[in-house]
Amino acid sequence: MSCGLSSLSSSDELDDFNPRTSPSTPPKPLEEELASLALTLPHPQLLSDQDDVNGVSDGFEADRSMFGIQQSDEEMRVGLVFEEHVGGNSVSVVEGATEGSDGAGVVWGRTNSEIEVDRPASPSSSGYAGERGSSSASSGRSEMDGVAEDEIQELRDDASDGENSNSVPSWVPGKRHGDEDDASISWRKRKKHFFILSHSGKPIYSRYGDEHKLAGFSASLQAIISFVEDGGDRVKWVRAGKHQVVFLVKGPIYLVCISCTEEPYESLRGQLELIYGQMILILTKSVNRCFERNPKFDMTSLLGGTDVVFSSLIHSFGWNPATFLHAYTCLPLAYGTRQAAGAILQDVADSGILFAILMCKHKVISIVGAQKASLHPDDMLLLANFVMSTESFRTSESFSPICLPRYNPMAFLYAYVHYFDVNTYLMLLTTNSDSFYHLKECRIRIETVLLKSNVLSEVQRSMLDGGMHVGDVPVDSLPRYRTTSHLGQQRAPSEFPERFKESNAGMGGPGGLWHFIYRSIYLDQYVSSEFSSPITSRQQQKRLYRAYQNIYASMHDKEIGPHKTQFRRDENYVLLCWVTQDFELYAAFDPLADKALAIKICNRVCQWIKDVENEVFLLGASPFSW
Amino acid sequence: MGLSTATTAVSEAIQLCVFDSRRGQQEGQELDKILFFYPADLPFTKQLYIIGLSEGLITFTRTFSPEAACEVIEAEKHSHVFFEAEQDIWMVLVVEKNKELEAIWRIGALQKLLKEIHSLFLMFHGSIRLLLEKEPTGEVSRSHLYSFIMDYLNASCQKRSALDMCCCDFLVGKKLHLPSFTDCLKERGTVQMLTIGRDAALDVQALVRIVDSCIGNTSCHSLILFQDLLVSTTLSPDDTANLFSYAVLRLIPRVLSSGASSWSYLIRGNVASHVAQHGGNVGNRVIRPLQHGKWSKGKDGFLETDIWGMEASGWVGSTPKIWLSQTEEQMCLYVHQHKSLTLILLVPVSSIPNGEQGISIVRQYILENASLKIVKVEEKLSKGWGGENAYHVGGYRYLLVDGDRQISRASPPGKVTTLAKDSLLAMSKLREKVDLEKSRAKQDSDGEEKELEVTIRAKNNAWVISRITRGKELYIALEKANETLLYASDMVEKFSNRYCNGAFSLD
Repeated sequence: MSCGLSSLSSSDELDDFNPRTSPSTPPKPLEEELASLALTLPHPQLLSDQDDVNGVSDGFEADRSMFGIQQSDEEMRVGLVFEEHVGGNSVSVVEGATEGSDGAGVVWGRTNSEIEVDRPASPSSSGYAGERGSSSASSGRSEMDGVAEDEIQELRDDASDGENSNSVPSWVPGKRHGDEDDASISWRKRKKHFFILSHSGKPIYSRYGDEHKLAGFSASLQAIISFVEDGGDRVKWVRAGKHQVVFLVKGPIYLVCISCTEEPYESLRGQLELIYGQMILILTKSVNRCFERNPKFDMTSLLGGTDVVFSSLIHSFGWNPATFLHAYTCLPLAYGTRQAAGAILQDVADSGILFAILMCKHKVISIVGAQKASLHPDDMLLLANFVMSTESFRTSESFSPICLPRYNPMAFLYAYVHYFDVNTYLMLLTTNSDSFYHLKECRIRIETVLLKSNVLSEVQRSMLDGGMHVGDVPVDSLPRYRTTSHLGQQRAPSEFPERFKESNAGMGGPGGLWHFIYRSIYLDQYVSSEFSSPITSRQQQKRLYRAYQNIYASMHDKEIGPHKTQFRRDENYVLLCWVTQDFELYAAFDPLADKALAIKICNRVCQWIKDVENEVFLLGASPFSW
Repeated sequence: MGLSTATTAVSEAIQLCVFDSRRGQQEGQELDKILFFYPADLPFTKQLYIIGLSEGLITFTRTFSPEAACEVIEAEKHSHVFFEAEQDIWMVLVVEKNKELEAIWRIGALQKLLKEIHSLFLMFHGSIRLLLEKEPTGEVSRSHLYSFIMDYLNASCQKRSALDMCCCDFLVGKKLHLPSFTDCLKERGTVQMLTIGRDAALDVQALVRIVDSCIGNTSCHSLILFQDLLVSTTLSPDDTANLFSYAVLRLIPRVLSSGASSWSYLIRGNVASHVAQHGGNVGNRVIRPLQHGKWSKGKDGFLETDIWGMEASGWVGSTPKIWLSQTEEQMCLYVHQHKSLTLILLVPVSSIPNGEQGISIVRQYILENASLKIVKVEEKLSKGWGGENAYHVGGYRYLLVDGDRQISRASPPGKVTTLAKDSLLAMSKLREKVDLEKSRAKQDSDGEEKELEVTIRAKNNAWVISRITRGKELYIALEKANETLLYASDMVEKFSNRYCNGAFSLD
């Protein structure tokens, strides 16, 4: 069923309201789906250097066998690509083939000099490609991948938020609530929808519900955007009661968020930007060319199997401050340990690697970039999300084409990804699609050094110890230089981590301090405290993040900001926010906290961070300034 | 007469429409939806575009938010502000954003403007829906809305009427000043009270008692103003606010003597001529209570007007009448003025004994029984009044709103204008945020009142502060304050203790 605008436009009262609306998308034949899908799969035969490719692929027999279904598409894929590549102007007769050659355009249709770079990776073991293969195999629908742990978590939260008060939360593999559409009451009541659609109104991605069933709804969204455009304007947002609809137009790609989460426009818009960036990371911006050739191009297949990447990103909007701070965070480590990691990364970076990144979950251990190359924190966020949410990266070393939207949205880079342990992974980025073996060697060198210098075990220890705890804010005014303990803690938490966590419960920090985030402006890094009581449940944490987002947006108002200080007390918190040229501090206190004391504690926190900045930040990462 | 392109451009900067989404549902009849459109000379395709977009978004947003449909569309160049005045009757204001022209709007202020237009319309004409039901072609409603809204938006036209008659088109859409960020320390739809001493209060009470019992024990109501400040009321807060707005617009001595209102949005245009083409052939005469210069003071101190018609139909016919929102009762309106004191008396139409005679009995009663008291009260209030800067508090620029009683008090406008543009903008933005949080709190059904304290040090080092507690709101801008948060908080504390009975004090 179509609702809203589309139903209005289909009635005869306003004929011209929605000229481009198509009432629904007819189901596509499976072959067509597979054809366009297959075209996007990186494949050995697309490369010039067959030997190398085969060599690499051989190294991943296990992976290849996982995606056996791809092989059956091979003929069609190769055929079409060949046609596009060699024939150039040949026009395919079949509708599916037309779309297919558009798909090929992503790969080949470059006019710039980056042909080499743009090609998809050699081994078909790339995480997302594999996912696509398996999804095409399963049903032709594109949302059958395994569900990430945190998604389930959020499902629970959402349900307890009342997001889904009408139905019992169900464990759907892959996309949640894929059976819903805009006619479902439960769908309409979801707190936060995200949509990606094409400028012709075709659905590309929907957080909830089946994209194909949402064609009518998607057309309504398109109609709103184009109707306002017809009036010579651009719609930014619409408010109705507690609901906000936020629009973002990126060339032929439209992104829409419908939310009643009380997040400000700026935050929601930033989230749409990230979702777009995530899409670019998977496809590069040259996907626009597909739309230039065929405005009705159906992009769903190109993103097949990446649902899990988007849902994990959307989930992170509720817990990861990097999504609105535009900064990254580091795993706390002794200065020497991080130095050791940085040194070996630097070593390999000198041999033609663009970026070498060692991370533990979403936290950075060390980063090194080639000369003059700089990595935007948003790109790091998107890359880490892509790697962490794609299961196949965990199972073996992988080589995958990725695009860094802030670095160069038009070109693919190649990422070598390897997990050292369940949380710690190395990403080596290069422009050279043939360098798998070289990167593998680099990784082995790095791994050897990391093991020898105990970096990996230090990482494990830091994971156990956690980050800064509000309970450890120094209350005396004595500076704590040269403390040997982890982040200046007075205890040996690694021995009894659980016990200490409990003993902290119910206390928070001095002066009613519950939590803080400190962002260093020059370093583009932030550090946030561990959650302590009473901010213990996921829901409470999410609410605090949203409060931070709100105050962040109000501090950084585009027209009048940035403000210098803000104190805010409501029924939930006291929030104190302080923006200087060097840093920003956001601190949350008990709503009954004393103002004077809270200010004093904030000063202490800043001093404390200065004292331990060697441990919590990556300092002097040489080519890392912009 | 042709319009110059420049005029057209300006007139497109602001659009205001009223439409009924129940009407014109057949293809080709969409125009029937439109009950009012400003500028009226905008091509129908453009008018229908605005209404089509509005209806589309209303329908769309109801999918997710059935209880509260579209309130705002924010586009790059325009803001569309919605107000559902009556069920399915929508008022939509489209304003162009333009930083150079300082066209920076606070949505809440624009919504209040729409709300005020509608409340005043209700007071004089009753509901739009009722008018439409009485006369289904909508012509009566259209002519009423047209003259009413144009009069509302219209400033000092009284002296121009001769000119307007001949070249109205030329003057249409010259400029419309809507409340922008510079009005961030004002609250439309609220009443400003005069603070009076205990002694004066007793006299006022006595006066009210006399006046309200003018026809025995019938429920009469009264409103007393001193200059543009309210002294006393026996009406509900809603009705008080409406009548107060009207009095300040058209009745108080300053307005009567100058003929020009300090308050107003200026459109020069000829309403009458337009009404003639819009609804001129309809038998009903259009009453235009907001028309300028139509009130004058008679010898006996009562204000006279021909807005409601002249003697031709007898006294009763020409007596001003309004509807009370709370009781939906129709009341006769008497206005008596002595120097700075304006006394408004409302007598139920149903209890006026017998026409002309009844009217003069009421007037006679007031003159005989209340005159002395009125003089005395006026004297006392004049003596105690501190002038137009009476409520200025040195160092502070403030707005204090009591939402439950619809009362506000603010720094005098002349003092507010001394604030830097950045401070005003910061305050306007802060209010925008607070508006949003208040409306969200209201939508939460738990009925808990919002408690909020926000203190911001803006880029220009000014402090902008908002405190919300128990339905009361305080906004303060401090420009010459010390740089510490504690100092700013202290300033608020002092203000609260001294001027708000400690309502916003923390301890």
